[in-house]
Amino acid sequence: MNFINMLQTVDFTTLYPELFLGVMAFLMLLMGLRYKNPRIYSVISFVSLIIAIFLLLIFDSSTSSIFSGILQINDFGLYFAIIMLISSIYMVLPSTREVHEKPELFYATLLFVNISMLVAAFSLNLIVIFIAFEGVSIGTYILTAFGKSRRNLEAATKYFFTGTIATSFILFGSAFYYISAGTFSMENVVSLQSHSVLIAMIFLFVGYGFKLALVPMHQWAVDTYDGSPNSVSAFLSTGTKVLAFLIIMRIFLVGFSPDHTDIFYLFVIISIITMTYGNIAALSETNLKRVFAYSSVAQAGYLILVLAVVSNNYSSSSVDLAILAGMFYALVYIFMKGGAFFSVGLVKKENANIDDLSGLAWKSPVIAVSIIILLISLAGVPPTAGFFAKYYLFLSLISGQLWWLAVIAIVNSALSVFYYLRLIVIMFRRNSDNEFDLSPSVYYPIVIAAILMFVLVALIYEFPTIQTYVSGLFGV
Amino acid sequence: MFMVSIFLLLIILSISAFFVKKKSWEISMISSLIILLLVFIYALLNFWSGYDGGIISNYRLSLVPSIGINFTSGVSSLTLALLFLTTIIMPVALYTSKNGKYGSLFYGLMMLTEVGLFGLLISRNFIFFYIFWEVVIIPVFLLIAIYGGEKRESASLKFFIYTQLGSVFLLLSILTLFAFYYSLNNVFTLNMTTLLSGQFIDGTAIPVFWKYFVIFGFLFAFLVKMPSFPLHSWLPDAYNSAPYPVTVILAGGLSLMGGYGFFAILLPLASIIPSSVSWIIISLGIISLVYFALVAMMQNNLKKMLAFASAASMGFVNISFGVGIMETGSYGIQELTGGIYQILAHGLIIALLFATLFAIKSKTGKENIHSLGGIHREVPILSSIFLGGLLASLGLPGFAGFISEFSVVAASYAILGPLIFLVIFGMIITASYHVWAAQRALYGPYNETLGSIKDIGRHDIMVLGSLLILIFVLGIYPNLIFGAISKYVGVFL
Repeated sequence: MNFINMLQTVDFTTLYPELFLGVMAFLMLLMGLRYKNPRIYSVISFVSLIIAIFLLLIFDSSTSSIFSGILQINDFGLYFAIIMLISSIYMVLPSTREVHEKPELFYATLLFVNISMLVAAFSLNLIVIFIAFEGVSIGTYILTAFGKSRRNLEAATKYFFTGTIATSFILFGSAFYYISAGTFSMENVVSLQSHSVLIAMIFLFVGYGFKLALVPMHQWAVDTYDGSPNSVSAFLSTGTKVLAFLIIMRIFLVGFSPDHTDIFYLFVIISIITMTYGNIAALSETNLKRVFAYSSVAQAGYLILVLAVVSNNYSSSSVDLAILAGMFYALVYIFMKGGAFFSVGLVKKENANIDDLSGLAWKSPVIAVSIIILLISLAGVPPTAGFFAKYYLFLSLISGQLWWLAVIAIVNSALSVFYYLRLIVIMFRRNSDNEFDLSPSVYYPIVIAAILMFVLVALIYEFPTIQTYVSGLFGV
Repeated sequence: MFMVSIFLLLIILSISAFFVKKKSWEISMISSLIILLLVFIYALLNFWSGYDGGIISNYRLSLVPSIGINFTSGVSSLTLALLFLTTIIMPVALYTSKNGKYGSLFYGLMMLTEVGLFGLLISRNFIFFYIFWEVVIIPVFLLIAIYGGEKRESASLKFFIYTQLGSVFLLLSILTLFAFYYSLNNVFTLNMTTLLSGQFIDGTAIPVFWKYFVIFGFLFAFLVKMPSFPLHSWLPDAYNSAPYPVTVILAGGLSLMGGYGFFAILLPLASIIPSSVSWIIISLGIISLVYFALVAMMQNNLKKMLAFASAASMGFVNISFGVGIMETGSYGIQELTGGIYQILAHGLIIALLFATLFAIKSKTGKENIHSLGGIHREVPILSSIFLGGLLASLGLPGFAGFISEFSVVAASYAILGPLIFLVIFGMIITASYHVWAAQRALYGPYNETLGSIKDIGRHDIMVLGSLLILIFVLGIYPNLIFGAISKYVGVFL
């Protein structure tokens, strides 16, 4: 009765973007009966995702809450919702090449995934987050398996099994959270019952940490990125990772807010292990895609530093700066990592080795310069956007008096320079007869990402504005 | 404003150098000469008279004031001396790239290096200082990685990792200063003058541990660039596998960065540098001087020999800085000014030597001492210029190197005492291997397997000769620059 009442009284306007994407997805499924050209569907999803951004800006830009607080619409969630849509927009057109049959299924699934992402971006309730997150997970299992080759299936199977285990961890964790807090809603948690809170924390951390590929839950990620189509690995390592990052921020900074100390130590340890392991593993790797996969693991370690600063709670300005840095990092990360994964498509072989890039600079200088920009941005070298993202992160660490952590992070980022630059050196090798795939679907994503590495720097001017969104994390 | 407009012009010229299809050598040469001329005019207008230390032509452009990012620039006589060096070695480096078949990418990267050096020298905001610091490294890394000789891949990576490790500590030190300033005053600022002001540094705002940390970070970054003794292992590989133009920039430009850091950033911090650290700097300088000189003596390859000679003479900069901050009064001024003058003199001399060696290499095809021999008979002018460069490098009176080495050694006796003999010992070894190399490579019986070779033409004489004359003029009339530098130093003592 209560539920029906709620449905009758609720104002659905804030859900128009999700509804619109759903309608478009079902429309594409219907069109699949007649049209078989993947191009049509990629263009449709491209356009509908862009329209969804505008709908978000129109209907969700004012603060409100619906379903009695289950969904909190505010600028913070809006920011993440938009950048997750952008990560899909970025991969949707180049993916055309890798979708050979039943394109309508691929793109409809992508839109469904996006709906779940939007819901998760606005939610502060563990159950809603769980359901939305499952939507994303199941959708991405399908996307990963789409190539139908043995490698794709292997990747999808690994992803599926580990993902399912993670799901059960999340459920367990949510249940224990309910025991300790008495509610699934994470707003205004005042006290947590101490016995079950640690169990809840560990279980939720393991469950969501799987998606963010934090060490020691990272091995699926390396294999899955390696085996999936390039555009899907770009999406997996950007869009879903940003989502997992957002959810982890929400759960651990808002839900567990009375329990700062445990959160702090947990995330400090995990971030150090993740950064160091990812970088060291990437050093000895020669498979191109696995190098990027390990570097993506290391990057997740940098992102997690935000939680360490915030839970350390040294001063309000350091907390603001840390969350701001995390928001900016997430945006920049989408393009630098996504562009890097697309660059694997340049190599025409099945298993791209780093030596297969040799001679690229002489075949296509433009693409080589673009990749250089992406790589130095990943390495955090100025004046690229990647540098500023890292710079603000380290700045927040230092302004939160976590010097030693900043030292570890910076030494790590110096370590990572080695394997990024090794790729640059290889590209400039002469006398190689490698053939490169320079078709537009490989060429443009990389070039656009490289240009954005400079354009996004201009966003620094908007930092005072973005800083006002930060409080939205806590559901205000 | 004048300086900033020169810098903007340089940026535009360097970007356009990337897109020139033909005649890229001519265009980048002309642009670097224009910049040199403009810097010269600037110096005449502002420094000819009336300079009394400190920083002039301040320019400030607020970018993100809320977090302290402003483009602030200013020029002191230290900056100006090193700007001269940068703008002079650039045409020399381009001169050595004339015969190589390089594309516009090469010249674009060369000009970009100049942009980085120029920006580094004029910026007075730490964030821009750091950005330009990196802007120098990346083009040089690419130049070695793309156009280097054998072993270029490992050499370029080694170079980059060493210097990147240095930059990391540089960034940490900058951020530390920034954070303590913020916790003291609640103001975000990255302005160099503010963060390095005695009031902030000497106060109790920074705990002792972090003061040492800041000094360590800066010192590490600058010593890598010099390169000084334990952090030098990138040097032989990078110098040897880099093409000649890049070697000129490495020797003149990158060691300049380390020296500039010493005198622009560590000198204002001198009050918190404990004397034990000064002694470490001094001993690293002496070890560099003696050790690199001994290593250079053993080299058969002239390019490697010059690389180590360059590192050895940068040892004087270490000594000068370490001794200078412990001294006061006129001794201190003479010591520190000598160190700055040494950066300038060393850069000019080493650029001349590498450029001349390049001419020898392109005439004879050889750069090993044993494969040359007696070439004075065939190419008298070229070998005379090379001899002149070698004599200047060993510190013969009459050349610029003498002025700086003399003032460093003379003024450091008060602190070093008998240890001065180690410095003198290093100078003797330096002199001996220079003369020995000249004797074996230039004089003696002619190595007939080289065949008959033609002496250098008018253009080469013009470039190399004018550089030699400049070194000579700075050696007999040092006050052109020495006086202005001593005023800059005087502010800190």
